Amino acid sequence: MSAQDLTYWLKDFWNEFKKVPSGIIGVVILLLALAIVFFEHQILPFPDGNTRWRDITYWDDNPKSAPPVWTNIFRSKKLATSARLALGEKKMNAMEGLQCVEQTFDYDYQFDSPPLDIIIRVKGKSSVLLVIKLARPDNFGVELLQAQFDFLGDEEKRLSLDSDARKSLPDFLSQFAAPEAVRTIDPSTIVPTRVLFAKTQDILTNPQPLKGKYRFTVTAILMQEDSKIHDTSIVISGSTAGLLGTDSGKRDIFTGIIAGTKWALLLGILTALISVGIGVVYGVVSAYFGGVVDTIMSRVFEIFVSVPLLPVLIVMSAVFKPSIWVLILMMCCFFWTGPVKTVRSMALQLKEETYIEATRALGGSHLRLIFKHMVPILIPYSFASMALSVPSAIVYEATISLIGLGDATIVTWGQILHDALTGGAVLSSIWWWVIPPGLMISLMGMTFAFIGFAMDKILHPKLRTR
Amino acid sequence: MPDNILEVKNLTKWFPLRRGIWQFLRGQQRYARAVDGVSFVIERGEILGLIGESGCGKTTTGKLIMKLMEASSGEIIFNGENVTHLRRPELQKYRRSVQMIFQDPYASMNPRFKIRSVLQEPIVIHSLGRSYNEREAMITKALEEVKLMPATDFMSRFPHMLSGGQRQRAATARALILTPSMLVADEPVSMIDLSTRAEILQMMKTLHKELNLTYLYITHDLSTARYFTDRIAVMYLGKIVEIGAAEDVVEKPGHPYTRALIEAVCEPVTGKLDLIKHLPIKEGEIPSPANIPKGCRFHTRCIHAKPECWEQAEPDLIEIGNKHKVACRRYNEIK
Amino acid sequence: MTNVLEVNNLKLYYYTSKGVVRALDDITFSLQEGETLGIVGESGCGKTTAGLALLNMPMPPGKIAGGQIIIDGQDIVPLAEKEMRRHVRWQKIAMVFQGAMNCLTPVFTIGKLMMETMLEHKTMKKEEAWHIIEKYLGYVGLPAGVTKRYPHELSGGMKQRVVIAMALFMNPKVVVFDEPTTALDVIVQCQILNLIKKLKLEKALLSCIFITHDLATEAEVANRIMVMYGGKIAEIGTNQQIYSERAAHPYTKKLLAATPRLHQKVDHLSFIPGAPPDLLAPPTGCRFHLRCEVAMGKCSAQEPPLIEIEPDHKVACWKVGYKE
Repeated sequence: MSAQDLTYWLKDFWNEFKKVPSGIIGVVILLLALAIVFFEHQILPFPDGNTRWRDITYWDDNPKSAPPVWTNIFRSKKLATSARLALGEKKMNAMEGLQCVEQTFDYDYQFDSPPLDIIIRVKGKSSVLLVIKLARPDNFGVELLQAQFDFLGDEEKRLSLDSDARKSLPDFLSQFAAPEAVRTIDPSTIVPTRVLFAKTQDILTNPQPLKGKYRFTVTAILMQEDSKIHDTSIVISGSTAGLLGTDSGKRDIFTGIIAGTKWALLLGILTALISVGIGVVYGVVSAYFGGVVDTIMSRVFEIFVSVPLLPVLIVMSAVFKPSIWVLILMMCCFFWTGPVKTVRSMALQLKEETYIEATRALGGSHLRLIFKHMVPILIPYSFASMALSVPSAIVYEATISLIGLGDATIVTWGQILHDALTGGAVLSSIWWWVIPPGLMISLMGMTFAFIGFAMDKILHPKLRTR
Repeated sequence: MPDNILEVKNLTKWFPLRRGIWQFLRGQQRYARAVDGVSFVIERGEILGLIGESGCGKTTTGKLIMKLMEASSGEIIFNGENVTHLRRPELQKYRRSVQMIFQDPYASMNPRFKIRSVLQEPIVIHSLGRSYNEREAMITKALEEVKLMPATDFMSRFPHMLSGGQRQRAATARALILTPSMLVADEPVSMIDLSTRAEILQMMKTLHKELNLTYLYITHDLSTARYFTDRIAVMYLGKIVEIGAAEDVVEKPGHPYTRALIEAVCEPVTGKLDLIKHLPIKEGEIPSPANIPKGCRFHTRCIHAKPECWEQAEPDLIEIGNKHKVACRRYNEIK
Repeated sequence: MTNVLEVNNLKLYYYTSKGVVRALDDITFSLQEGETLGIVGESGCGKTTAGLALLNMPMPPGKIAGGQIIIDGQDIVPLAEKEMRRHVRWQKIAMVFQGAMNCLTPVFTIGKLMMETMLEHKTMKKEEAWHIIEKYLGYVGLPAGVTKRYPHELSGGMKQRVVIAMALFMNPKVVVFDEPTTALDVIVQCQILNLIKKLKLEKALLSCIFITHDLATEAEVANRIMVMYGGKIAEIGTNQQIYSERAAHPYTKKLLAATPRLHQKVDHLSFIPGAPPDLLAPPTGCRFHLRCEVAMGKCSAQEPPLIEIEPDHKVACWKVGYKE
C-alpha cells in the first residue's frame, strides 16, 4: 500500500471511528495510559518504587496505612500530610578552625493535627558533629539533637524525631510549663511532634497546633580533614500520604498503580498480539486445506474453547510459579481461539477468490498462498478480537495474582489487590488500598472493550444493524 | 516435437454429492458429472474455442488442464507427456508451459499488490531472475508485450487504479512472464467493456502470432469465438457435442444444440424488431449434471428427438466432413 | 402518437467527497406510447443512473440537479418521496433492476414475494392479488405453481421472468429494463427477449426503456436507440438509422465496428483506444474528442450541441451536420 493509500485508508477509518463515541472514550483512556507509561519516571513519586516494591526499608519514611492527602478536603481537622522538605540554603563557614556546613529546611505547617514523625537522613564520611535545630514561628527555638557521628565509608544515618530527639524535649518544655510538671512526666510518653508544633499555652496538658513557618537547621561540623557531609534530607511523615495513601506496609499506592500500568498494558497487548497471530494462522490454515485437516483442526479448536481457562491457569501457576512472561505464554495457549471462528469463515470465502486460484496456477506454494495472500488480508479483521482479548488477559493476570500466584518480581494491580486482601484492608476499612487497583483493572478492561466494539462495528459492517 | 501440443482423452471430473444417511448406510454415492468424457486435440499454434452455456463444464475442463483440480479419470497429454497426475517438482515445470487468463480481471489480482508485485510473483515462485535488475527487466518486457506503456508507470499502480482492459492486459503479462507455450483463456473478455473488448482480443491475437502461442479459449459467446478461434468445440452437459473449424461450426452447424445456440445469438443489424425467434430447442432448462439424461444427453430438449435417441447408447462424435465431428444419431435425417 | 415520457434538460450529479460527478448532464429525450427506447453505452456512461433518475430515486450521494421528467403529463422531479411511492413508482413507471433476479429474498416463496410487492403499492384483497399474480405469471410464461417455490429452486431465466412479472403488476405506462439479459446464457437471453417482444405485442400501449451495454441485443428490441457517452447523449435515432450506414456519431460507428459478428469473418476488429472520461473532470469540448479519430481543433474547444440531422435522428458532433 502506498503512503497515500494508507493515509486515505486511515482517514476513512478515523471518520468511521469518530461516529462511535465509546470508541473515542476508549482511545482517549488508552492514550492516557500510554502517556503514563511513557512519562513514568516523571510521574512516580518514589522513583525506585518499581524495583523496590517489596523492599521494606525503601518505604520506611512513609506513614503506615495513611489515607490519601486529598481526604483532608472532607475533614474539619486537617491532618498533616507527608512531604519531603526542600533544601533552603547551604552555607559553609569555618568555626574554630573546623569546617562547618549549615543547611536549612523550611516547613510551612498549616494543619490541625501534627505529623507522626520527622525523619532526617544524612550521608557522610568519617567523623561529623551534627547539630539539628528547629526555629518556630513564635521565635522560640529548640535544639533537637547534638551528637557526633562516625560514618563508616559512605554510610547513611537515619534519625527520627520520635526516637532521637526525646532527650531535648524536657528543656524545651520547661520554658513554658512548670518545671515540676515537666520533671514528673515520663519523656517516653511525650510525642515530640505534638509539642514541637504546638502553641506554648497549655503545651503539656492540651497542646493546640501552632500554624506557621518552621525552619530546621542542620549544622554539621566536620571534625576531621576527610570528613564530609552530603545528601541531607528531611521527610515529614504525616498522617496522610500521597495521592492514593499508603498500605499497611507503608508503600505508596499511587506508585504501585502507576508502575502497574505498564505491566497491564504489556501483558494485555502482548498476549493479544501473540494469541491473535496464532489464531489467524490457525483459522486460515484450517480453512485453506479443508477436508480432513479442517475437521481435525476444528475439533482441536473446540476442545480448547470448551476448557475452562481459569482453573487450568491456577493449577499451572501453582505448579510452575510463573514469571510474567511464562504467564503470558500460558494465556496465549488458550486465548488464540478468539479470532479462529471469524477468520476461518472469512478464509473460506477468500480461498475461492480468483487471485488465489491464479497464484495456484502460477505454481505458488501453500505457504505463499497462506502467508502472502490470505493472512495479510484477514489481519485487520482480527483487530477487534485482539482488542477484546486485552481485557481478559489483564483480568486473568489479576486473578492469578489475587490468589497469590503472580510474578513476585514486579508490581501489578492484581498483586496490590492480593496484598490488600491479605493485609486485611477490607476489615480495617483501608478503602484506598482496594478501590484504585480494582478500578484500574476494570477501566483498562473497559478501554479495550470499547475500542474492540468500535472496531468490530467498523470492520465487520455486516454485523451492523443500521 | 509432436504436432499436437495438447491431447485430452476421455477426461472426466465427477464431484461427489452430499449423501443422506440412508445413502451413506447403503454405501451409495451419487456424483455431479461436471466433465463427462471430454476428448479433443489442440495443435501447436492453434486457437481452440470451447463453447457452452454456464454449467456445461467448460470452465472445469480448463481448470483440469491447468491442474487446478485433479481429474477423476482420463488423460491429459501435453507435448507427448502424460501430465494428468503430475506432482511437484514436475508440476512446476508444466506450469511454466501452460498458463491461464481468468474471467474476472477485477478479482484475478490481489487488491493489495501493486502491479510490480503481481508480476513479480511468478518470477519469485519459479526463482527466475537472478538480480533485481534482471527481474525488473523481465517485468518491463512483459508489460511492454501487452502494450502497457510506460511500464514503470504501471508497475507502481494498484489493480484498482487500472481499467478493466488494462487489468486483463496485466493479467496476461503475468502469465507471459513464464514464457508459456499455451494459454488457457477462461472468458477473458466477458467482463470487459464493449469498446475495449476488441482491443484485448486484438492484443491476444498479436501475441499469438509473435510468440507462437496456443490458446484454449473458453467462452459462452459465439461471436467472439468466431472472430478469435480457428476451431470451435461445443460442450453440452459435460460432453463435446460438436467440434470443427470455426467457420464450419457456425455456418454449417450439425448438432441441433449448436443450431439453437447460433439461432439465439443477437446481431447488431436492423430489421429484427417485433420478430419472435423460434429456437430449435424445447423450452425448459438445462438438466442438472447430477442427473444426466440417459442415451443422448440432449434428447430432453431436442425438437428432433425420437425414441432411438434415449433408448440407444449415447452417440459418439462422427465425422461429417473436414474434421467436423458431430455427436448426433439423427444427423443425416435432420440435415 | 403521444409522448408518455418526456425528459427535459435532466441533470443528475453525484456529490462525492472528491467532487461533483456529472453523471447525467443535460439529457433531453422523449418516449412515445408503445415505443421501446434503448439506452446504450459503456459502463460509467450514466445509463443506469438515467434509469434510476426516471423513477426519481437517484443512488446517494446523487441528486437531481435540474430538469424535468414528465410522465403522463406530470413532472415528477418536484414530487415528495411519499407521493412518488404512492402514485408514481410502479403505478406509472416500473423498473427491472440490474441483477434483481439475484436479489429475491431467499427465505420467502415466490408467491409471498410477489404478494408483498403488490400490497406495498396498492391495498387490495388477497384473493384479488392472487388473481393478478396468476394472470401476470401467465403473461411471462410461468406456471402458477412457481408461487410455491423458493428463489433458489428456480433457474436464472425463470427468476428474471418473475422479476419482470413483478414490474408489470400495476400496469405501468413505462417499464425500465436495466440489463435484463446480461449474465444469462444465450438461449435464455433469447427467450427473455422473445418474452419482452411478446408482451409488447399483447399490450400494445406498453412503453419500454431498455438499458444495456450490448448493441446487438438492443437491435432486437429497441425502436429507437440512444447512445450515451460520458453522461451526455451522443446520438439518438431509430433502429434503422443506427444499425446502418446512417449511424453518424464517430462513437456509435466505432462501437458498431467493435462488435464481433457471428456470420462474418473479420480479420481485424477495430476498437476504441483509451478509457471513458473521468466525470469528475470531464475533458473540455466534446467529451469523446480524446478517443476520436476524426477530432479537429474545434472539438476540444467547444461542446457540440445535439442537432437534428434528419427526422428522428439527432447527433452531437461537430463533424456531422455542420459545414466547415
